[in-house]
Amino acid sequence: MHIMHQSSLRFLLTTALLFATHFSPSLQAQDAKKTAQKPTIEVEIVPSPASSLVRINATLQRYNFIRPWEKGAPTPRRGLGAFITGKRVLTTAELVENSTYIELELTGTGEKTPAKIIGLDYEANLALLEPIDAKSTILDKLVPLKLDDSVSAGDTLEIWQVEDNGNSVTTDVKVLRVAVGNYFIPGSRLLTYPVKGSLQYHANSFTLPVVKNGNLAGLLLSYSSKEQTSSLLPSPIIKHFLDDLKDGDYKGFPNMGLGYAQTLDEQLRKFTHISDKKGGVFVRRIVADSSAGKGGVKEGDVILNLNGHDIDSRGNYSNDKYGKINFSHLVRGASNVGDKVKLHIIRDGKPIDLEFPLLRKEPGDYLVDPYMFDRGPRFMILGGLIFQELTLPYLKFWGDKWPTRGPLNLVHAQANPEPYEKEGRKKIVFLSQVVKTPATIGYQGLGSIILTKVNGQAINAIGDLAEAFKKPNAQGLHKIEFADHPKVIYLDARMALAINQQLSKYGIGQLQNLK
Amino acid sequence: MTTSTRSPFSRTITFSWLCVLFLAPHIHAQEKKSTVEVPPPPSVQADVSKVEFDAIVRVEVEVENRNYRVPWNIGGLGSGVGTGFMIGKNRFLTNAHVVSNRRLIYIKKMDRPEPYKARVLYVAHDCDLALLELEDPTPFKDVKPLSIGGIPKLNTTVIDVGYPIGGERISVTRGVVSRIDFRPYTHSGVDFHLTIQVDAAINPGNSGGPVLQDNKVVGVAFQGYSGSQAQNTAYMIPVPVINRFLKDVEDGQYDFYVDMATQTINLLNPAQRLALGLKNDGRGVMVTIADKAGSAGGVLETGDVLLAIDGYDIASDGFVTIEGERINLNEIVERKFVGDTVDLKILRDHKLQQIKIELQRFIPYLIQANHYDKKPNFVLFAGLQFQPLDRELMGSFGISNLKARYVYSYFSREELYIERPEPVILTAVLPDSVNTHLQAYTKQLVDTINGKKILTLQDVHDALNSDAHEKGQENYHVIRLLGEGRPLVMERSKAKAAHQRIMDKYNVGYDHFIEKPLILESKALAKAREKAAKK
Repeated sequence: MHIMHQSSLRFLLTTALLFATHFSPSLQAQDAKKTAQKPTIEVEIVPSPASSLVRINATLQRYNFIRPWEKGAPTPRRGLGAFITGKRVLTTAELVENSTYIELELTGTGEKTPAKIIGLDYEANLALLEPIDAKSTILDKLVPLKLDDSVSAGDTLEIWQVEDNGNSVTTDVKVLRVAVGNYFIPGSRLLTYPVKGSLQYHANSFTLPVVKNGNLAGLLLSYSSKEQTSSLLPSPIIKHFLDDLKDGDYKGFPNMGLGYAQTLDEQLRKFTHISDKKGGVFVRRIVADSSAGKGGVKEGDVILNLNGHDIDSRGNYSNDKYGKINFSHLVRGASNVGDKVKLHIIRDGKPIDLEFPLLRKEPGDYLVDPYMFDRGPRFMILGGLIFQELTLPYLKFWGDKWPTRGPLNLVHAQANPEPYEKEGRKKIVFLSQVVKTPATIGYQGLGSIILTKVNGQAINAIGDLAEAFKKPNAQGLHKIEFADHPKVIYLDARMALAINQQLSKYGIGQLQNLK
Repeated sequence: MTTSTRSPFSRTITFSWLCVLFLAPHIHAQEKKSTVEVPPPPSVQADVSKVEFDAIVRVEVEVENRNYRVPWNIGGLGSGVGTGFMIGKNRFLTNAHVVSNRRLIYIKKMDRPEPYKARVLYVAHDCDLALLELEDPTPFKDVKPLSIGGIPKLNTTVIDVGYPIGGERISVTRGVVSRIDFRPYTHSGVDFHLTIQVDAAINPGNSGGPVLQDNKVVGVAFQGYSGSQAQNTAYMIPVPVINRFLKDVEDGQYDFYVDMATQTINLLNPAQRLALGLKNDGRGVMVTIADKAGSAGGVLETGDVLLAIDGYDIASDGFVTIEGERINLNEIVERKFVGDTVDLKILRDHKLQQIKIELQRFIPYLIQANHYDKKPNFVLFAGLQFQPLDRELMGSFGISNLKARYVYSYFSREELYIERPEPVILTAVLPDSVNTHLQAYTKQLVDTINGKKILTLQDVHDALNSDAHEKGQENYHVIRLLGEGRPLVMERSKAKAAHQRIMDKYNVGYDHFIEKPLILESKALAKAREKAAKK
């Protein structure tokens, strides 16, 4: 998922040095502002929306998870990026998700140049772009923005926009607090700044940079016009992302892989022998193969301290800068993959200290991929039977109410992967639907059924399926077995191949995607 | 016959161009002419002068609904009107849904003002029929009962007589027989039986009324669509279902429908036929799942081909031909009674076999059925309210918890009843200082209490009212929910003190009502559980 190119990363390393030396203290910017009325060259150094923002025009084309051989209609998206050192433009991953074409546009002159993604993290909702043409000079006149690292609750920030005519628009918003909040990918929670202030969109609908004293403080994640509140993706997360990109081996944000319950309940505190202690969270779920699972944390443990920070009974710790915030920030935002984490826990009344490395479970490491971008689902069509690997985006095709509207057996498997993982499955392969063909007569209406075996071989991933279909029985039939009704069906191997040829002739361009 | 619900695709996927493509070479298969006889529409029942209107009565019912949310309270009171008709001396047939949850039943004659008190003799919720009798039959001593006819032909005229909305007096409407088919009976919500569709206007209040042809009863009006869904589509319970009910109760009790509890798939696919060793003779369906707690559990196996049932050849689409009518093979089973047998000719591993199956009622599917005439079961302990999972509960509490929905939907299909015959839900918490932190954990399935696995509601009561405890935790009640790692704990001394306090504060008359679940009476289930325990 993380698209990167070695060459551009080397480039990043050098620009990181520039970053340190190129910028003079912010006083210089102040001076420049004073002399702004004089038409001198210094004026251009003062960052402003017009001088430091780049319009991004992206065309996104999503994959169709129900008809996996298709992509949907291309849709244009327009947003703003923050120009940062080294001709790079920072924006949200959401703006460039599933993009087929991206271009950078100067807000003043309207000059354009095609761009490529050199860093991308959907969980952190960040993307880094640069012109495809290394010789392009259109960004040369822009003033790079420096990252702010001083925001705390109560600060006033400016949301920057540029109108169609190139004029700057700034909107003041006030930081309400610093908190761990929702990001673009549901379930991916990282540091946010909830801010208050009314906002009008000008000529773009995605990704507005937010600035404090001329430095980039964050990107706008979401805005509620009803509440007049917004959520910002803050500079510490941006810094984590940019730092991670420097060495050419992007690792992403680590995850702990545990669920916890608060311990405000005095009876639960006594029951878990922590009534004489302060705070602590009760571990209620451990994700298999996660940092916590491999590190020896167990369901029922109470975590009292993480990396020297006491955790209160709500799951917060005291951050010097932000006040009380959720302890997940210590893992997700404040640590890197590979860092050691130290836990002080109570297990069965006894104190235990654990130390283990933080890992990151990639979406593909899950039995059911929690998200999937920039690639289509894995599938295979044979004779009119459509087999797929189960992903969360597939279930989300049932709409916002997918947990109740989607096929219950598949929704249940997604939420309860453990029994399948124990069987040795890497993915859930299922028959998603049946196209009526001479080979599938009698099978119409079957769908959403989990596969167990094909031609006697266990199907633990779509690749197994392709292998198994190479070996029909002596009668020339494929035997396909399911976990549920109808349990077993047969397919004529020769007829199925002939139908596959017909299918590709009549518009199903791609009959499988096994990668 | 039971049904299992499957969520349909919420999005329509159009493959129509493909269908056209592949159908073309197969048109010859459809050239064979339909054999449905459609006679011209004679007005078979134009004259109503000979109809015994006095035998067709208005049934007025006072009902008392159940309150599943507050199970110790009685629910709302209400009243309803339906129709019934006399079929013998002091015997009135009507729908089960007309007299469900009754407090009082009164019967009124067509042209008389007096209500006559009646009571239910037998009620069959699985086929929506009930038999009533009057406390004092004298007012009907001179009335001639209606006689029961047969299955009317398609496109022949019938009349429907009853007391529908739109007026007080008796009403007659007319229509033709549109279709004979297997359809769901919505009263129980889980049963399918033979129905006859008519295009007469049948409206609320007509329920339980006779549908007549040649002055004979050919059906009991019972359900239809609202006008927004379909026009002129009403259904009646046909004579085979009526007769089966009347025969079943002859011995003084109603024993319910029997069921094979076996799912099958058609055998239209040539590859499937070849693999199973079948000729292309259009015969046979394949067993996919024979429910362990059903009549065929342990007898039929996945992959068995059913070729004939009681001597009737089974077509590869699951139909048999009885008296010239093509009909779902379940109709053979439908006409039988508890303890009857059915003879099956099957092909197993390419070998012909004759199998006899003793037919029983199938109980696990009732978890998804509507319940009537039944007080809600519950256990209340220190404000924690426990209730068995069933359709009423899912609806009353709007339970959306995934585990609960899964167990509810797959209870029968995945044979989950073998592990937990009566799944229990923590439905609510009556707030008190003892349980204030537990309120976020409601509407989930209970796994264990005090170390005891919860198989039935009785287990909940027993585990909480005994000294059962988790190892080393004798001072706590520990309730563990399925799929939730955080246990619900209450100190025993605190819970004990809180229990009566909560009962008083929340006006709870009694703290439990437990009936032995029907499912425990299933012999097949007992056998299946024994087998599972041995494993």
